Amino acid sequence: MRERNVMLLHYATGLAILLFGGIHIWTLFFTYPFQGTIWETTMRFDSMPYAILPVYRNTLLALSLLGLLVSTTIHAFNGLRIILAELIGKRNIWIERGLFAIGAFLVIYGTRTILIAHMLV
Amino acid sequence: MTVLDGLIYIKENLDPTLSVRYSCRMAICGSCGMRVNGMEVLACNTQIVELEKKVITVEPMKNYPLIKDIVVDMSEFFVKQKNLKTWLIRKDVVEQENPTRQYAQTEEELEKILQFTYCIQCGLCYSACPVVSNLPQFLGPQALMKLYRYLADNRDEGEDRLAAVDKFEGVWRCHFAGSCSTVCPKGVDPALAIQLLRRAALK
Repeated sequence: MRERNVMLLHYATGLAILLFGGIHIWTLFFTYPFQGTIWETTMRFDSMPYAILPVYRNTLLALSLLGLLVSTTIHAFNGLRIILAELIGKRNIWIERGLFAIGAFLVIYGTRTILIAHMLV
Repeated sequence: MTVLDGLIYIKENLDPTLSVRYSCRMAICGSCGMRVNGMEVLACNTQIVELEKKVITVEPMKNYPLIKDIVVDMSEFFVKQKNLKTWLIRKDVVEQENPTRQYAQTEEELEKILQFTYCIQCGLCYSACPVVSNLPQFLGPQALMKLYRYLADNRDEGEDRLAAVDKFEGVWRCHFAGSCSTVCPKGVDPALAIQLLRRAALK
């Protein structure tokens, strides 16, 4: 992948984090009053594998969480790639491959968790 | 009295082994770049009285291999620039060999590149660049600025100029610290050129 496209992705995911992070915070602060009964409902594990806020039990917000996960992972790991290269003083292809593998694992595992928590699978 | 005058005085009267690189003594040739009190300057362009310090520390430029005293090896700096083909490339070879006319340029077209043509290749920006310190493969502000100067020149017909800087150690590694523009003795803004180069690369 050309560096131009990598950095374009970096900028795009930076903006996406603002969008999806904004949605995430907005849903938490403005649509979910921190009250005991909702907390009790949220933390009830008996009918689902993961505890989840009621407001997140819809497909659109599940997709926004997925967007947040993917964009944060790409942005963070690309940033880490650059930081490590400058820290070491040269580019190391194996470090980059390692970071890619960890990032891919996080996205796959996180996607699985989101899908299960939202009972989409 | 400039810092360079002081160094010449030391060499002539106190320590003849002192090595100093200089030539024009009027901030045109860019030979006497060094760090004075921690700041990249041209020694010939820095008045001692303006430093307002009793002790003046003179050091060689950073990011270059040291040859002796305050003389550094600038080979890599020039090689990086040369690799980017920072000169006017034209397809009309016959016209180049036997010129019959001038290449026209409007005032607006000249305005785009004018400040970047003032670069004297003193290498102070390269020394001040924090990215070059961390990542020596980084092309550096001067080479990138020079490339932009020819990319934006309407007379230039060079192809794939952007491909040469669209790589890991190329234009994307600039952190926009801006120290290159701060230290430039000719008022050139390499940080701006790099941002313009990025914009061109994204199109």
